[in-house]
Amino acid sequence: MYWENELEQLERRDLERLQLERLMTSLRQAANSPHYGRVPEITRALATGLKSIAQIDELPFTTKEDLRKDFPWGFLATDKRDVVRLHSSSGTTGNPVAVYHNRHDLSSWANLMARSMYAAGVRDTDVFQNICGYGLFTGGLGFQYGAEKLGCISIPAGAGNSLRQIKLMCDFGTSVAHAIPSYLGRLFDVFNEERLDPRRDTRLHTLVIGAEPHTEEHRRRIEEMFGVKAYNSFGLSEMNGPGVAFECTEQNGLHIWEDAYVVEIIDPISLQPVADGETDELVMTTLDRQAMPIIRYRTRDLTRFLAGPCACGRTHRRIDRISGRSDDMFIIKGCNVFPMQIEGVLMKLPEVGDDYRINLETIEDQDEMIVEVEVKAEWFRGDLAFLDRLQRHITRLIRDEVLVRPLIKLVEPGSIPKAEGKAVRVFDRRSK
Amino acid sequence: MSYQVSIFLENKIGRLEKVTAVLKDAAINIRSIHLNHTANGWGILNLVVSDPELAQQRLNAKGMSAALREIVVVSMADRPGGLDELLKDIVRAGVNFTNAYGRAASGGDSAFLVIDVEDIPGARAKLAEVGLEMLADRQVYGS
Repeated sequence: MYWENELEQLERRDLERLQLERLMTSLRQAANSPHYGRVPEITRALATGLKSIAQIDELPFTTKEDLRKDFPWGFLATDKRDVVRLHSSSGTTGNPVAVYHNRHDLSSWANLMARSMYAAGVRDTDVFQNICGYGLFTGGLGFQYGAEKLGCISIPAGAGNSLRQIKLMCDFGTSVAHAIPSYLGRLFDVFNEERLDPRRDTRLHTLVIGAEPHTEEHRRRIEEMFGVKAYNSFGLSEMNGPGVAFECTEQNGLHIWEDAYVVEIIDPISLQPVADGETDELVMTTLDRQAMPIIRYRTRDLTRFLAGPCACGRTHRRIDRISGRSDDMFIIKGCNVFPMQIEGVLMKLPEVGDDYRINLETIEDQDEMIVEVEVKAEWFRGDLAFLDRLQRHITRLIRDEVLVRPLIKLVEPGSIPKAEGKAVRVFDRRSK
Repeated sequence: MSYQVSIFLENKIGRLEKVTAVLKDAAINIRSIHLNHTANGWGILNLVVSDPELAQQRLNAKGMSAALREIVVVSMADRPGGLDELLKDIVRAGVNFTNAYGRAASGGDSAFLVIDVEDIPGARAKLAEVGLEMLADRQVYGS
């Protein structure tokens, strides 16, 4: 009935005992790394031991800034020879963040991924098409290895090229696909342009959607378009990638795999846990990672625990879909973007004024990032070609920085309101 | 040397009128207008006016991006085929332009064509070689 019958149905008490045991192993492992080796609370916890999993609150948090500061190898807790894979995601400014895995880590991740897909009803009889970027983005390889572990025929289709996606679906009878939600509207349009109806002309029965915040209404729309069940997937590269939390066929919250992670929800100001059911910042600790254990990672994602047992019988707690961020990061086309990254690019250009605005909009069912930029009056020579070149130049620089191609809109100097205090630079008007 | 005033404009209601209001207040006469819009929501307004320096100064003072850009202005006959004859000469001269716009002079049978080229001195020399008449500032800016 489950991918791992015993583990997925562990009584709370047993689950917490397993967590505590694994946490101590993780701390011992983490202490090998330059970063955690110098954290006194970890040394102390290892010396005196922890009596319950609740005592995790005696350990300090780890932030993205920490990962950035100790980039690239400061969190390495094994011999470098052991490492077999590296993923990297964007940081706020300067250094990105690197996450490395040894064979054990990859196998554990693939297992969590297989468990997640199984919970959403995917079986080894399915043909699985992974419509997302491979490479540094964890959604590609994460789903690929999970689907192979589960035993699906797994098609590494990659992102984009809708006509090819549709052809693959039709040729091989794809029954399950994974994609970011904002792409599926576009794919549906191409089905229509080709006079095809995914409900009639494909064997799709399940879509897995994730890597982008989306609403319940958006999910229902996707289900309607494709005539499928769509399941929400949550993950972040610091915690492996996809396979951290996943919806089961009840479609009522995402089971977060508590044998692999300690999960807390805290108030980002007081840093204290919030009452059960309150929405706040998700904090996670890895329990089954060797090359790079991370203790109490501040994900900045906002969510809450859903109360009560799930009808599916799994005992791992459920979190609600992610409702936002406790920092100013936004996600577009599956990529994490910090406004500071864009500011960093713009402020290096002498032609560009200090004020800018980032508009996130839905244009023809596609999410777009529109960056409004002021051209300084003293750089203006009355020359169309110059402005055209500048526009293309900015587009390329931002694309290289955040991996999303922006639409650059040059505006008149002084037309963007001056920043006062903490300026709001990002206007999210995407249709939900 | 003649100049046009080039102004960076967003494609929004009222932007062009903001420019003309400034020129009106400075009693500057517009002799020719050309609006160049891109698909990106902005464009450049090119104006031949009676006093380009003053126009630029007043527009800049209002926070607008206005620049003076040197142009070549050639005369042509104000009758059917006039532009074609002129262009044949320009082709013969081997001058490539990136932008062109014109107007008819009032009360006469002549008109002028403003052309925007990369290499102004080179273009002047080539146009003179094929015998084309370039207008003096006084004729371009009007009285």
